[in-house]
Amino acid sequence: MSEETSGNPVVDWLGEYRKNRSVTDLLVDLGPFLMLLILIAVFTATSEVFLTYDNLVGNVMMNSMILLFVALAGTFPILQQSIDLSVESIVSLSGVITAILINDYQLGMLALLLGILAGTGVGVLNGVVFAKGKIPSFLVTLGSLSIFSGSALLMTGGYSVPFNAPGIRQIAIGNTIPQVPNLVVWGLVVYVLVSLMAWKTTFGRYTYALGENERVADFSGVNVDRYKIGAFVVSGTLCGLAGVLLTARISSATPGMGSGLLLQSIAAIVMGGTALTGGVGGPHRTILGVLVIGVLTNGMNLLGIQSFVQEIILGFVVILAVAMSMDRDKIDIVK
Amino acid sequence: MNSNVDSADHAVQNSDSMVRFRVENIRKEFTNVVALDNVSLELRTGEVVGLVGENGAGKSTLLNILSGIYQQDQGHIYVDGDRVSITNPRMASHQGVAIVHQEHNVIPNLSGYENLFLEQFPDYSTAGVLDSDTLKREGAEILSSLGIDLDLEKRVANYSFSDRQMLSIAKAFTETVHTDHPIILLDEPTAGLEEDGRDLLFDRIEDLRDQASFVFVSHELDEVLEISDRIYVLRDGKIVNHFEQENATEDKLQQSMVGREVSEEYYQASDQRDVENSEVALTVSNLGNEGHFEDVSFDVREGEIFGICGVMGSGKSALGRVLSGVDAADTGELAIDGTAVETGSVHRMVNQGIGYVPKERQSEGTLLYQPLRVNVSLPSIGTDLVADRVPGLGTVPWLIDFEKEDEMAEDIVERLNVKTPSIESPLINLSGGNQQKVVLGKNLQREVSVLVMDNVTRGIDVGAKEEVYRILRQLADDGVSMVFIADELPELIGMSNRIGVMHEGELVDVVDSPPGDKPMESELIRKMI
Repeated sequence: MSEETSGNPVVDWLGEYRKNRSVTDLLVDLGPFLMLLILIAVFTATSEVFLTYDNLVGNVMMNSMILLFVALAGTFPILQQSIDLSVESIVSLSGVITAILINDYQLGMLALLLGILAGTGVGVLNGVVFAKGKIPSFLVTLGSLSIFSGSALLMTGGYSVPFNAPGIRQIAIGNTIPQVPNLVVWGLVVYVLVSLMAWKTTFGRYTYALGENERVADFSGVNVDRYKIGAFVVSGTLCGLAGVLLTARISSATPGMGSGLLLQSIAAIVMGGTALTGGVGGPHRTILGVLVIGVLTNGMNLLGIQSFVQEIILGFVVILAVAMSMDRDKIDIVK
Repeated sequence: MNSNVDSADHAVQNSDSMVRFRVENIRKEFTNVVALDNVSLELRTGEVVGLVGENGAGKSTLLNILSGIYQQDQGHIYVDGDRVSITNPRMASHQGVAIVHQEHNVIPNLSGYENLFLEQFPDYSTAGVLDSDTLKREGAEILSSLGIDLDLEKRVANYSFSDRQMLSIAKAFTETVHTDHPIILLDEPTAGLEEDGRDLLFDRIEDLRDQASFVFVSHELDEVLEISDRIYVLRDGKIVNHFEQENATEDKLQQSMVGREVSEEYYQASDQRDVENSEVALTVSNLGNEGHFEDVSFDVREGEIFGICGVMGSGKSALGRVLSGVDAADTGELAIDGTAVETGSVHRMVNQGIGYVPKERQSEGTLLYQPLRVNVSLPSIGTDLVADRVPGLGTVPWLIDFEKEDEMAEDIVERLNVKTPSIESPLINLSGGNQQKVVLGKNLQREVSVLVMDNVTRGIDVGAKEEVYRILRQLADDGVSMVFIADELPELIGMSNRIGVMHEGELVDVVDSPPGDKPMESELIRKMI
């Protein structure tokens, strides 16, 4: 083993990096960063408002947080080479459950906790059916997507459930820290915790191992089923949190409030550098994809671009960003 | 380069037969690794040239360059004295070079003739409709000109392993049909072949010498010696030696592959432990797995290596899978140190002190794109070995202490002499032998009392094998019991204290194999068949 060190940690780190990573790896690592910087440069040049604190925190960050939770949630199954397609329906379902518990049962803050737990519960269902039933997660969650959103519709009769609870609203939009909306604080705290979970815990490590080669993990003595279920439990819980905070923010829940989040979250995850083939990337990177989408949407709003056109542009940027951040060296065949 | 090569070059210049194919000063670098350095070799018309070298010596890289999969950084390729550039596999076949891969480049769900002409479909189609009759006719003609007998109408999925290989060879000729004397590269062509298949292959190569020249790459030195006119030895990306067939011996080849003399006592049998008075560690009683084996009973003592042999389908690999927890036993019992163990779950078995080195290193043993560190620690994650401490909470098993993890990886690298740029290198950058050492190493961190190994030295080279044997002897000294399943009989005999012989799902005999009085191969083979 080489033990020479230069004494300068940055130089050492770069040396180590160069030893193990190729130029394509570097591009993959930096791709989403570059994309974000390009977008920021473009919107700074074209809009006076863009690079202001109020816009960046009050709009870009604030509007990205729900997507952040959902994208962090979806990262875990994808890292394991599975997928959770039911994320947006879990957001709607827990939101609706929370609103009903507040409105009809006057549970107050307890409703928030129960809303999150509802997400955890349906995550357990997803995970158990997938891991124990040995049914591909794509199909399990495609089914549960329909089941959960149908349930949300059934509970509400299709109507929105508004409630009047200023205290709860403050949980999302208040400023416990001056100038920083609580929702942004929630987002950053959860982001750090979830990134730590992927990086530092047994669960995180097994998640990477399962994503690269489940058989190897199994033969190494990993309780594979437990951690496969775990990924969906984490996913469900974070989606539950997203639903609860979204409900708190708008003091209302609708059975369709999560719609659109599935596609955006997958785009954010892949843009961040987590491959759909599993094993590489991680939640710490997903935030980059979320910010690319957040900045792009905000910038286009500021420029007054028509919303239909926005969708088309968003699609192009997603493909471009994925092209920049995918390591094709490791993928022989793309289907 | 040493003098041996120089003198060989002289001999070639003076020789009468035509140089059909020549590569000069090829160099290829991957990220920070020189895979090939100044490699030159030539192939005369009708010649079979052997190419040997340890894992990671550069054999595959060279073949990949010659067949257009990689491009060399420096150096040139000549066909009939003309410099050619081979930048993709199509160009290679255009120049008359075709490769037969180890894993046979055939598509199972297509028929034989469709596979044979896969690349030429456009030439045999009218308005997109494939002219199957012509394919079948021309396919049959090609086969008969090569003396190969195959049913081309069958789907390749129904071909035997040996038939697939024959088809791959025919395909190599088909791809180069426009050249009258193709250059066929054979990558480990005998791997996985039974004896009949091997004989058939060698017959074909001999017969086809007047139609083609061959490069023959193999780990099996006796086979290389048998078939090759000349043999090149690659070591660390360089051609270090070059032998005419009559001057070559297995010992000489091994020596130049490894760069030193292979230790006389390859299997270190004199270090074999006397386990007469040791405690029994693993007890297998009446174990059965329906359709694979039944009523297998034996026990393994502390520090003992218990070999298991048998022909394919004898149930030996299935037994390994049950012993390691991959499959569940239908009948019988398994006990470690007298405590019964439930089969059918590897993680439960691992917790009981069983380690498993599976047969397929790449698909079952290694996370190829994860760093060495992650591979080594994988079975230990979640145990106190790498658990972090949190003030106030004490040791938290679900938190990883990266320092401990680094130490563990460094320790394995040092103990098993793993050659790697760093513990952060993804395993894909390591050679097969070094990957295998990691697979062994990751099983050694936890308290392993029984290690089940299925062909632990499969596909690794002489030097790495010797090191693996040394490690196993060390483990035996540490009191680890081993179940050693192997296809290679010399290795099995050399390493084992006792050898269980499997035949049609039954353990038919247990043969003692003490140092100095090892059983003969023929004796085992008699019992196996």
